[in-house]
Amino acid sequence: MSFKVPLIVRGQVIESDLVEYGGRREAARFRAPALASHLAALVLEAPSRMADLYQISFDEIVAFLGKLGERLDPDRNTYLQEAFELSRLTSGLSEPILRHHYRQIPGYFEPRVVRELAERLIGRAYLEGWVEQPAAPQDISRLRIRAFGARAVHVIAGNVPVVGATTVIRNAVTRSDAIVKTPSNDPLTTAAIVRTMVDVAADHPLTRHVSVAYWKGGDPEIEEYLYDPRRIEKIIAWGGFAGIQSVKRYLQPGLDLITLDPKHSSSLIGREAFESGSTLQSVARRLALDIGGLNQEGCVNARVIYVESGTDAAGIERADQLGALTFAALQSLPDFLSTPHKAFDRELKAELDALSLLEDEYRVFGGRRNEGAVIVSRSSQPVDFARQLACRVGNLVPVDSLETAVRSVNAYTQTIGIYPESLKESLRDRLALHGAQRLVSLGAATLHQHPGPQDGIEPLRRMVKWITEETFDGRRLDETVAGRHEV
Amino acid sequence: MSAAAQSVRINSQELARQIGENPVSFLDATYDSGFVIDDEERHAAQLAAARQRFEALRPRLPALTKLAVDQGIESIGGFEDLAALLFPHTVYKSYPFSFIEQGRFDRLTRWFSSLTTVSLAAIDTNGIATIDDWIAVLERDTSLAPIHTFGTSGKLSFLPRTREQVRITVTLNARCVRDFDGAYAGPDLLVDHRPLIAPSYRRGASAIARGMNLMAELYGGGTALFLYPEALFSADVLSLAGRLRAAETRGEAGRLELPAALQARRQEFAQREANRPQDLDRFFTEAASRFAGREVFLFAVWPILFEWADEGLKRGLKGIFGPNSILTSGGGSKGRPLPPDHRERIAEFLGFTRTLEFFGMSELMANAPRCQLGNYHFPPVVIPFVLDGDTGQMLPREGLQTGRLALMDLLPDSYWGGLVTGDQVTLGGFGTPCDCGRRGPYVHPEISRYSDLKNGDDKINCAGAPEAHDRAIEFLLDRSGA
Repeated sequence: MSFKVPLIVRGQVIESDLVEYGGRREAARFRAPALASHLAALVLEAPSRMADLYQISFDEIVAFLGKLGERLDPDRNTYLQEAFELSRLTSGLSEPILRHHYRQIPGYFEPRVVRELAERLIGRAYLEGWVEQPAAPQDISRLRIRAFGARAVHVIAGNVPVVGATTVIRNAVTRSDAIVKTPSNDPLTTAAIVRTMVDVAADHPLTRHVSVAYWKGGDPEIEEYLYDPRRIEKIIAWGGFAGIQSVKRYLQPGLDLITLDPKHSSSLIGREAFESGSTLQSVARRLALDIGGLNQEGCVNARVIYVESGTDAAGIERADQLGALTFAALQSLPDFLSTPHKAFDRELKAELDALSLLEDEYRVFGGRRNEGAVIVSRSSQPVDFARQLACRVGNLVPVDSLETAVRSVNAYTQTIGIYPESLKESLRDRLALHGAQRLVSLGAATLHQHPGPQDGIEPLRRMVKWITEETFDGRRLDETVAGRHEV
Repeated sequence: MSAAAQSVRINSQELARQIGENPVSFLDATYDSGFVIDDEERHAAQLAAARQRFEALRPRLPALTKLAVDQGIESIGGFEDLAALLFPHTVYKSYPFSFIEQGRFDRLTRWFSSLTTVSLAAIDTNGIATIDDWIAVLERDTSLAPIHTFGTSGKLSFLPRTREQVRITVTLNARCVRDFDGAYAGPDLLVDHRPLIAPSYRRGASAIARGMNLMAELYGGGTALFLYPEALFSADVLSLAGRLRAAETRGEAGRLELPAALQARRQEFAQREANRPQDLDRFFTEAASRFAGREVFLFAVWPILFEWADEGLKRGLKGIFGPNSILTSGGGSKGRPLPPDHRERIAEFLGFTRTLEFFGMSELMANAPRCQLGNYHFPPVVIPFVLDGDTGQMLPREGLQTGRLALMDLLPDSYWGGLVTGDQVTLGGFGTPCDCGRRGPYVHPEISRYSDLKNGDDKINCAGAPEAHDRAIEFLLDRSGA
């Protein structure tokens, strides 16, 4: 049987006129409605129709999301159960990890969490009304600012289920209008959430301003119509180079592209890690978490790890020790966090196999089947396939000083896990200058992600339109016209 | 065996026995007889030959020794054992790129020596600064004629082929031209010379350049027309894309410093870019003046051929060569979209239609010719396997199987011919022969790269890094201010 992926257009669930899509593997194929005949309903040609979003208060938005969250328990929500079943086939996450992440979905919708997100990332006052800006007593004008929602297409990533949940929440709190384009590696989770919204209240303004559709990314028949400044104002595009390339041709004034680029993350481990056996054990466990959490499917996961072990024989020996301990720790991570990868990348396996010819250059712990691996470089160079590291494979690179590591950071570096804390503080400014976007204690890269600026760009603040309202004393303007004042 | 010797027609049992004893003896038979051997005889012969190669090479190739130990395989019982002993296709480019960046050609040589029985001990790498120099020294001081690939990723594979092996490949291709449609049905290019026409480089160490250089001698009797008769198809320029990519991923630490030896050659590259239009003019003029109406032998991949034909037709050139000329080609469209009538337009320009197409790769000494039904037939000196695309397990050798193609090339005796490719294919011909009548395994026409399948599947992840583009020459010229 193949999965049915509904098209959800402004509170209406459509499951007819199905076309087959999806992966090479028979089981992971799915059917979704042909989108072309629904395009007119999918877009909001008249932006004034967003007025209904301004009839409800922020508290009502929070309450509605809260109510939705209560219905998103994967043990009871049959839509999410179906999404889970399909994700078991399409996702790089194995079953226990996926289950853990589905269980976390309701938590994102809790009123306390939504309030914190809105407050921290935009400020509730700006979402609720016009905020008077501070002015000096002698100022003759007044400035008020409000954040307004925009009409946007969200091209979302499918490597972790939270992306869909976050997109729905961001759209609601910003009072925006979203068309969510789902990816083939998770076409159902966002649809399941929004379908539940329809069940809760099909006519609610928040439901009527979110649509979920699948089309094959790059399909010109769909994208030429959608990516038009008369119909949408923003495109929020996650991930791959190929996807951005296809969006690029539609860009023109009036259409704002927000890219959440593909990223890689790394770690810096200072010499303090080698101070005692128990410290090294603890560092290895924390590093294993940064490599193996989410089965290394995330951009937050560590891939290349610079270790200030030294590069002489004793230094390499130290790096090897850390490598061995990290590999062992990787093998004993709890299975809701990390497991052997169910579809270990064949190309990566071929690269690992080929390393056996280079015993003078690399030492590999693990990597025999799908259990993951820790590669320890024998020089201060990462492996040539560093960009392909996945499926719980990390590369420890011994260095004499972390200078090389700092200089290797670039605009595609997202998270850097750092040990010890003092090193983080001493390097944070420089790492930021080189391009790093999130600096975190070693071990916390995947687990504790606070709502915050994402990839250094504050996407929520860019999703809204910042509108100003300015007041000027009419009498003073008259006097200016009469030439009695300089402006 | 002399190249021009009359091949012998022998019965299929005898041929199978000979191949089992010495795969290179296939050159002594007519090529078509390779496709009448029945399954059982072929399998026995192939396994016998593979065992012989394994026994001889295992103790001498550290890479194979290691693989055999890792797989726990002492001897080859059947095809499953052999399938477990194929090298990943990454093996020939498994050297760290830093060897090249830092000019560590001593270490590159040591790495290369683990893949061949040819001794590289006497190689002096002092003073070698570029890949082109390194290849030249290996060629000068050993029996190797190393081959490099095009390295679409920027990292080149190096294959330790010998001069004698290049000769075997060229000879086998001539046998195929002569015998594929029946023994002696085609011309014997080794005897009946044809001028060689090639819209490409004469000098270089790619599999194509090496092959063509020898074809010019053996098929053309020394008469040949190349688009670039003098310029070197440079491995260093090809690898620049890899340098760019590696540099980009390393932030400021990777800021690219071009080796002085490459800097010094920038003028040469700039000159070549500038001369391109004149080279093309000369090529067309000579093709028309020296070879018009003559029966020639032409070799080029489809996109290059089309580019050439298109340019020729624009210049009003049509039906240049004699009607009994021969074109050999292959390689698909290399990802470039060609118009649906490209073959007609190529034929209109060339003036003949006789074409022999191959499926092959630099790593393989014996290519698979295409039959009239579009299927590619491996001669018995190559054992094709299909592996499960996800697990890498060997799929049954029966019926039709789709998966990752793997090959055991039985011809080379100085390096291990077993290789897992990056191609997804459908393989048939086990038990039931192709409708063209040829026996043995064949590959269906639809062939795709696993890497392309992965890129086109609309899966979006937040993890990744930007793709570098192949802009090596532009970069070099830009940097050098030419």
